[in-house]
Amino acid sequence: MSRRQKVALAVLMLPALAVVVAFYAVPAVMTAAMSFTDMDFRLRWNFVGFATFLRMAEDFLLPGILQNTIVYTFATLALFNVGLAVLLALATTFVPDRIGRVFQALWLLPRFTPPIVYGIIWMWILDPTGAGLLNSLVVAAGGRPVNWITDYPMAVIVLTNGIIGASFGMVIFYSAIKSIPRDYSWAALADGATWLQQVRYVTLPLIRWPLLFVTAYQTLSLLTSYEYILIITGGGPYFASTVWSLYAYNLAFGGYFANYEFGYGAALSIVLVVLGTVASIVYWRVFRFRDMMAEPKIEVM
Amino acid sequence: MPELAQNRPAAGLRADPRVLARERRRERALAFGVYAFLIIVSLPLVAGYGWLVLNSFSTELVHGVWPEGFTLRHWRFLWEPPSDYYPDLWRTTWNTLWLAIGMTVTMVAVATPTAYALSRMKFRGRSLFLALTLILHAFPGITLLIATYYVLRTLGLLNSIPGVFLVKAALMLPLGVWVMKGFYDAISWDVEMSALVDGASRIQTWYKVMLPQVMPGVASISIFSFIYGWSEYIYVITFIQDKNAWTLSSYINSIVGDYRFLDYGLLSATALFYIAPVLLFFFFTQKYLMRVTIGGTKGGS
Amino acid sequence: MARIRLEGLTKAFGPVVAVNDVNLSIEDGELLALLGPSGCGKSTILLMLAGIYRPTRGDIYFDDQRVNDVPPKGRGVGLVFQSYALYPHMTVFDNIAFPLRLRRAKREEIERRVREVARTAQIEELLARKPSQLSGGQQQRVALCRALVKEPELLLLDEPLSNLDARLRIETRTEIKRLQRELGITTILVTHDQIEALTMADRIAVMRSGVIEQLSKPQELYERPANLFVASFIGDPPMNLVRMEFRNDGGMPRLETAGLTIQLPPSARPQLERAEGREVVLGVRPEDLRFRTEPAPGLPVAQVFMLEPLGRDTLVDMRAGQQSIRALVPGSSEAKIGDTVYLQLEVEKLHVFDGVTGVRLDLGAGEQPALRVEAKGGA
Repeated sequence: MSRRQKVALAVLMLPALAVVVAFYAVPAVMTAAMSFTDMDFRLRWNFVGFATFLRMAEDFLLPGILQNTIVYTFATLALFNVGLAVLLALATTFVPDRIGRVFQALWLLPRFTPPIVYGIIWMWILDPTGAGLLNSLVVAAGGRPVNWITDYPMAVIVLTNGIIGASFGMVIFYSAIKSIPRDYSWAALADGATWLQQVRYVTLPLIRWPLLFVTAYQTLSLLTSYEYILIITGGGPYFASTVWSLYAYNLAFGGYFANYEFGYGAALSIVLVVLGTVASIVYWRVFRFRDMMAEPKIEVM
Repeated sequence: MPELAQNRPAAGLRADPRVLARERRRERALAFGVYAFLIIVSLPLVAGYGWLVLNSFSTELVHGVWPEGFTLRHWRFLWEPPSDYYPDLWRTTWNTLWLAIGMTVTMVAVATPTAYALSRMKFRGRSLFLALTLILHAFPGITLLIATYYVLRTLGLLNSIPGVFLVKAALMLPLGVWVMKGFYDAISWDVEMSALVDGASRIQTWYKVMLPQVMPGVASISIFSFIYGWSEYIYVITFIQDKNAWTLSSYINSIVGDYRFLDYGLLSATALFYIAPVLLFFFFTQKYLMRVTIGGTKGGS
Repeated sequence: MARIRLEGLTKAFGPVVAVNDVNLSIEDGELLALLGPSGCGKSTILLMLAGIYRPTRGDIYFDDQRVNDVPPKGRGVGLVFQSYALYPHMTVFDNIAFPLRLRRAKREEIERRVREVARTAQIEELLARKPSQLSGGQQQRVALCRALVKEPELLLLDEPLSNLDARLRIETRTEIKRLQRELGITTILVTHDQIEALTMADRIAVMRSGVIEQLSKPQELYERPANLFVASFIGDPPMNLVRMEFRNDGGMPRLETAGLTIQLPPSARPQLERAEGREVVLGVRPEDLRFRTEPAPGLPVAQVFMLEPLGRDTLVDMRAGQQSIRALVPGSSEAKIGDTVYLQLEVEKLHVFDGVTGVRLDLGAGEQPALRVEAKGGA
């Protein structure tokens, strides 16, 4: 490469490189380093060896939080991010395109709604008095208002995250189903298959790769996301709907203790960081992204 | 699918009219079922967003659902803050806009050239950088939040809008690069080779020939970044305490804290105020948003 | 204008060798066609000439100046792609003006030269349009104008006619040839279409798997294919090729296969003995093969099993022994399906190739061999 070529390449690549270093590489290394300190709001690097990890082993809250995390991740995934997503994709491909697009838009809307606004909508739907949507139905049916958020916190976080999560799979599956050559369904029809049989024997087998992809990606994103939980239940009551990532966040910045436990928070985070890194690399291999890295056809700069 | 149903070959010429009638009934039942499913699962969404609008303009919601009496009372916050605690709404709105624009500009400025280099240029480390882009695309950046706080503090970017949009743009960069790369990949090599033969350098080729052709991609990631910047919650709440740097997320978050069960009118009006630009974008640019949502996952399917 | 010389030119993409040790020189003002099936390396040579690809080994000379390291913009090359590769966001005028603008030509000069070249190609009235508003033929002309406007030393045409419909292709063929003659530009035409190459080129290089199989004038390519590949590639319908065994009893060379024996004159022997094995391949072009329906003793017998009328000619599918043979006869055929016919072979129209290497064997060069062809066994 000549000098000029190097300059050209640097102009194009350096900003991205700087961003990646500043906001991925440095924080990742720093999270690892912090996890061996007892850093608090004074942000002092006081290394304490494996103390934070020992604390993790002894933390009486963690078993419950771990259980919440697993229930939250896999229930949301199964019921909504994959389950409802497949149903929505099938339904929106079944109805005429125009109608299908309207429903898809409706389901995509929460994804682009400011989280706090989305949270407010749910606060109203789940309001513990008769003022909320659900309770006004309960009251109309002759029941007494239910305090949904405190009585069913896990169900609430699964439902509220699931409604957002379903649209991702819906869009992916929709385009996958649309790209199935029509010959397949015609062949199936000619063989006398009903719509359900078509779905079972033609559609689903043909979209198994997107299914795997959505499952993999959404597992990782659910494991680490907590924004909507923070807004809607705050992880409560007490720790009843606190998941691992939210616990880490709350230790550092959250309300319960307000004691800025950066060290312990980082130790909890590093578990997710390692998990995330390993999973991302595995996905990269499994989904054969390497195949998409075709060589450029121009060899001069 | 429905036209398929019509094209469906009769089950042989020998078909019994009773069998045909039963088939038709079955098809109609299926269509009914699909529509019923779509409508029922979508009801909470329609109700939720509908409530935002109705509630913010009505004096009272009977049983929390039925609007009664038109009023602009809930929109008082536009000219007078809910209490002395709150900063000026317009300043806050401006901050939000600044965050959205800053994020968009950063994203476009960094992703567009990088994606070109990754898509089209041959250099050492290219495949490594491409792999990194994909791995980071799956990697949950939110797990680095605690360390990112430290980085921003060190850079003196806490309590500032640029701090937030730099972090947020960095986290979305892999997606942006990947989507833009898709747009570059779609341009024929012949066109680029022609430009080189016509006497352009690589950089000239990029901005004179390639860039005009990936404008739909630039539009896509711009709109996407703008909406996500505008809506940002968690990084704003965590990194910005200074009321002068609040965005609408912090503002409404605070209103939720103060008036949650007291004044749904105020809650819904501020929420509607916040989401209005998003709705506008969403309805007019859905095509672009879909492109990013799907484009970010190509290869998985 | 330039003389072009390629010396030992080789291009490898990883383990795949796309172009292998190609030596070639192109005279000033000549139109040379690189002809071959897709993937034969012809486009790779073109892109190396344009400076898009770097040669792995070997050198490229423009007028005795080595240009391996000269970037595309320094080479003075005009390039027309099969896809035309017009810049979709620019008008026709801007497309043609692009190379001049990059050279920072003066505004008036750009205006003048663009109009001039557009007039030559008769697209003046299209200058304000966008490429998407043009037909394929018009886009093709624009691409040609863009390549010509910078007055290139060397014009490279990559399958320039493939995306045009049949009628337009014939017109454009003549048009390009005319322009090239008038301007006297050294031109390299890459094509997989033999008609295109045969009609347009001064010389043709037939390529396969990165190697030039034969370089010669169009007529010679047809009349004296240098090897089996060229023989089977050139000509439509393709040459009949029959694998036969070479026998040599008492100095009388003979070719044999089941149901067919061909007696050759003694003068053919030295050539045939150069064949590496005992096997040779006999080739006859369908248009050179005649037959008669009246019995003629001594001629090979065949059975007609299919007639394909092509309008001006008729293609007759026959079977001789186990060999399938085709003849192209003018007008409609007298023979009918199932007829027995007698093949008439003219010795100067026969091609013989080494059964192992595929190299052409010239039978008693120049000498008129007293050929006797006789049938043996039942058909």
